[in-house]
Amino acid sequence: MKKTIIQGLAIIALFFTTWFFLIQIDWIKFLKIQKITDKTEEKLGELFWSIFQKSEKENKNPFVVNSVDSIVTKICSANKIDRKLINVHILNKDDINAFALPNGHLIIYSGLIVNSDNQEELSGVICHEIAHIKLNHVTKKLVKEIGLSTLISMTTGNTGSEVIKKTAKMLSSSAFDRSLEKEADIKAVDYLVKAKINPEPFANFLFKLSDKENESTKYLTWVSTHPDSKARAEYIIEYSRNKKGIYEIILTNDTWENLKNKLQD
Amino acid sequence: MINVTKFIYSPGEHETEKASNSYLMSLIALIVGLSLPIINLIATLIFYLGNRKGTYFVRWHCTQALLSQLSMLFINSFGFWWTISIIFTDETISNKYISYIIAALIFNLSEFIATIYTAIQTRKGIHVEWWFYGNLTNLICSSKS
Repeated sequence: MKKTIIQGLAIIALFFTTWFFLIQIDWIKFLKIQKITDKTEEKLGELFWSIFQKSEKENKNPFVVNSVDSIVTKICSANKIDRKLINVHILNKDDINAFALPNGHLIIYSGLIVNSDNQEELSGVICHEIAHIKLNHVTKKLVKEIGLSTLISMTTGNTGSEVIKKTAKMLSSSAFDRSLEKEADIKAVDYLVKAKINPEPFANFLFKLSDKENESTKYLTWVSTHPDSKARAEYIIEYSRNKKGIYEIILTNDTWENLKNKLQD
Repeated sequence: MINVTKFIYSPGEHETEKASNSYLMSLIALIVGLSLPIINLIATLIFYLGNRKGTYFVRWHCTQALLSQLSMLFINSFGFWWTISIIFTDETISNKYISYIIAALIFNLSEFIATIYTAIQTRKGIHVEWWFYGNLTNLICSSKS
């Protein structure tokens, strides 16, 4: 009996040893499998960002940039995220939207900031998008939606500008898989709590927007691209219930109001 | 890995044929089962159930064929679902995955060769005990029907 068990374990060990030794070979390189490298992602990020840069107006007001930057920096430092990896851009647009592009480009529309009742709501959305970046959802979505070969050919300039524009539009106005959205929501709550930001307003924001879902959704891009806001708000509340902490504000109330006023002008 | 020993009695012609068939059955299952692992088990299980009232020699070899398929079932199932997750979810092809598939192929191939060899030997009435599986079969399969 003992001998049989030892022999059985030996077979299992043999399998894992074989696997372990095979892992040492770089099969991806050896089999010339196309894979997204950091360089590809960097190029894609620049490519898509240039599309938005050309078509939209970036807000470079130092007060606006610095205020949003304070929030992003606080979230990053509290969660040990390299701040340099997140490139925040604020675009002057009425849509309530924020989205991530490859290589850590985080685009926030002024409409989102103006329509956030408080800084915690904005922080929640920022955390959600940072989570998409950190969890590599953007690249995964791109590979799934348009395919690896098209993506790689984009970086080598072999794809028409129309395809690139369409892909950029897809990134700004379509949701991720439900499971990826949930993953990003949960991660966002973790980020918020670690940064001592109350996660409840983030859930309230979703509740609030879900109420508006039936109304004119002209400017509610972030909601229409993130379906089931109510259900999301519910599981965010459920998840954050166990994460009680002492919360602080990042921007003073005056700064927050000034920020909104500046963007409303 | 493969041990040729003497069986407690000398099996008759009909027995060697049936015992050998159990390996052929698992051989076919192995080919199909590489892509759809549950086939491995179902096919051998059907054959095993069909022959459980057979003679000791037949039962012994059906059991050994069944047991060897069981371990392949685990290896192949894991590889199968890993592949499915790569196709349908956000999982990507990695070095770990390719290595796993190659390791699984090596094990399937070894099993394939061993099965062919055993099927031939069993047909000749030669009793072949596999390393580990032979011992396990001895523990499970009793000479009393």
